[in-house]
Amino acid sequence: MPSDLISMARSGTRAARTALEITSNNIANASSEGYVRRSVSLAEVAVGTVSSTPTSINLAGVAVAGIVRNADQFRQGEVRRTGADAARAAAEVQGLENIESAVEQTGVYTSIVDFEAGLQALLSDPTDGPLRAGVLEQGRTLSETLNVAASSLDAVGDGLRFEAGEGVENVNRIATELARVNLRLSRASDSSSDQTAQLDQRDMLLQELSQYVDTRTSFAPDTGVVTVTLGGPSGTDLVDGGATRSLAMATAADGTVSFTLDGTPTAISSGQLAGKSLSLTQAASTRAELDAIAAEIVTTVNAAQAAGVDLDGNPGQPLFSGTGAADMRMIAANGAAVATAPAGAGANSRDVSNLEAMRSALSAADPAGDMDTLLFGISSAVAGRRVTRDALDSIASTARVALQAQAGVDLDQEAVNLVRFQQAFEANARVMQVATDIFDSILAIR
Amino acid sequence: MPIVSTSTSAFYERARADMKDLRSQAETLQAQLGSGEKLTRSSDDPVAASRLRALGRLEKLSEIDAANASRANADLTLADAAMSDMADAIIRAQELAAQAANDTITDSQRTAIGQELEQIFGNLVGLSNARDSNGHALFGGESAGDAYGLDAGGNAVYVGTPNTSNLPLGEGQSVTRSMPGPQFLSFTDTSGNPSDTMATIKALAVALQSGTPDPTGAAREALGNLQTGLDTLTTGQTVIGTRLAWIELTDNRRIDLQELRQTEESNIGATDIATTIATLQETLTVLEASQASFTKLAGLTLFDKL
Repeated sequence: MPSDLISMARSGTRAARTALEITSNNIANASSEGYVRRSVSLAEVAVGTVSSTPTSINLAGVAVAGIVRNADQFRQGEVRRTGADAARAAAEVQGLENIESAVEQTGVYTSIVDFEAGLQALLSDPTDGPLRAGVLEQGRTLSETLNVAASSLDAVGDGLRFEAGEGVENVNRIATELARVNLRLSRASDSSSDQTAQLDQRDMLLQELSQYVDTRTSFAPDTGVVTVTLGGPSGTDLVDGGATRSLAMATAADGTVSFTLDGTPTAISSGQLAGKSLSLTQAASTRAELDAIAAEIVTTVNAAQAAGVDLDGNPGQPLFSGTGAADMRMIAANGAAVATAPAGAGANSRDVSNLEAMRSALSAADPAGDMDTLLFGISSAVAGRRVTRDALDSIASTARVALQAQAGVDLDQEAVNLVRFQQAFEANARVMQVATDIFDSILAIR
Repeated sequence: MPIVSTSTSAFYERARADMKDLRSQAETLQAQLGSGEKLTRSSDDPVAASRLRALGRLEKLSEIDAANASRANADLTLADAAMSDMADAIIRAQELAAQAANDTITDSQRTAIGQELEQIFGNLVGLSNARDSNGHALFGGESAGDAYGLDAGGNAVYVGTPNTSNLPLGEGQSVTRSMPGPQFLSFTDTSGNPSDTMATIKALAVALQSGTPDPTGAAREALGNLQTGLDTLTTGQTVIGTRLAWIELTDNRRIDLQELRQTEESNIGATDIATTIATLQETLTVLEASQASFTKLAGLTLFDKL
């Protein structure tokens, strides 16, 4: 029937126009973060009435069946998983690099060597005032660089804990927003543009969340409501529908951190928070090693001092006080306090046997070697983690590009769609023209 | 089906990441050229950094060894000079003793010889208390004060310690920086009693001045003892000379090792300028090419044709 011709053409123009609108929306959002390319799904309208026979012609045009979000849940999941790994590795490398700088650039190794060199130079003339003062000052520099290294390490730890705390706050914020999105999703009507916008929002929040923690997600099939679980397969739900649990961080005495979800201990194995936590563990062990080196120097030098006599012939007093890198101090008042001579020697003795004993005790304890081991350990950890980070980074960016290729807007394709739907619109308009012509030719019959 | 395999934002993202990568590579190379060092931090190459630390430590300790060696060298040279002066004095004493042993000279001449010998004794005591480069007694061992003192009778008595300290020269080698006085001044006299050069000269001086019954006999006996004293001193001086040669040998060895260390250091840690510049040029060429191709590709849009 010709009248159907017009209504079919009308449905065609409406569909083409919707498609054009979708296309222009895609173009407008070509660089919007988290925007997933939409396309329109069209379906034929079949008008079947009870009275109509199967052979009769029933054509009713086209209808917009829905707006399709071109997002693949598998690829999105991959982006989240690999993104969490890459974020963990990046945070760990950054933390370890800070630890490395704290112990390397403070020059602890150099100052240990300088102290050894000072003792060796004193051998040439144990009663020489400048040489004795040199030993004392090198000892002071040594204790001060150890102090600085310890406080730099503490500062690195403080920074890492602050960032981890901020990460925890962000996780809680994202969880709250996800719960809100979940509530709206459960109310949105199917395939509406409201629903697609909410789904975009949901996916963006999940991706943001994956930067901080590794999550497991499951989606309700009809509404798209998401359940987020932390801490592996047997973990605890962070977001379940409209309900959230609160993530909290606890700091141990040695500065390492642990996480709980509404009181339940939760293991976080990936994401920035895991990286910070791993770095803090490394910072704690580096700090313990540095303390051990400082304690070694203090006990070795003081024990050797006690076995000898100073320049004035008095029994040697300790040169250093303290038990660790942070509280190590040079306590001798002047260079005369260095006990170079053995017990029983008089004032101004040039007998260096106690100095020799101190040097051999120090070279047996080998603080320079221990410091080298410490530096080597931390720097090779950084070098190794850097390789891991680069690998994880390239995996994550591959996953992102794969998702983008599918879900992102391709302007060339949109340009083609623009032309195509414009032509479709014009064709439908042409159909209307034809219908009018048919009418006119019938009406023109006299 | 997409026309190109990727979306517009992914294309820009990838181009940005690639160019950023190239740029940071070029900057790293530039930093290596600017500083002359391959490693900016240990983690760039942990093994090399550890080796560089060890080499730096050896270098530092070797500097102290060099300073110690030059101190020992100075002390031994001073000791050598003082011993030469002592030898001159002993030879003069021998001449005087030979004159005094002559029966034809008068008592007043002997007294004059005795007075000169007394002067020589004073010189020897002064020389035996010579100072080293640190201001300590050269021949006093580890003594805090003088090497020789004078007792109530005006005789020289050794007040130093029996041993002289060793100075390490590096590589486990060490050298004794001087010699305690008794080692080259004391000897056993012709009658088999322990004696020393200064005591011999002092005794002869006293004998010649106070008019002993047999001054020529005393002078002849002293002549023999002085010869032994001179021999002992010369032996000591030879030992000092050997030690000086030993220091020179270890100095040469230290310089060789230092050169080896520096070669290794520059092999491990220094920038190879030719390679680095070539790599930098390559990186810059690639960067330019990718910038040019990015501009071309980004300019290709279908919207221009609509």
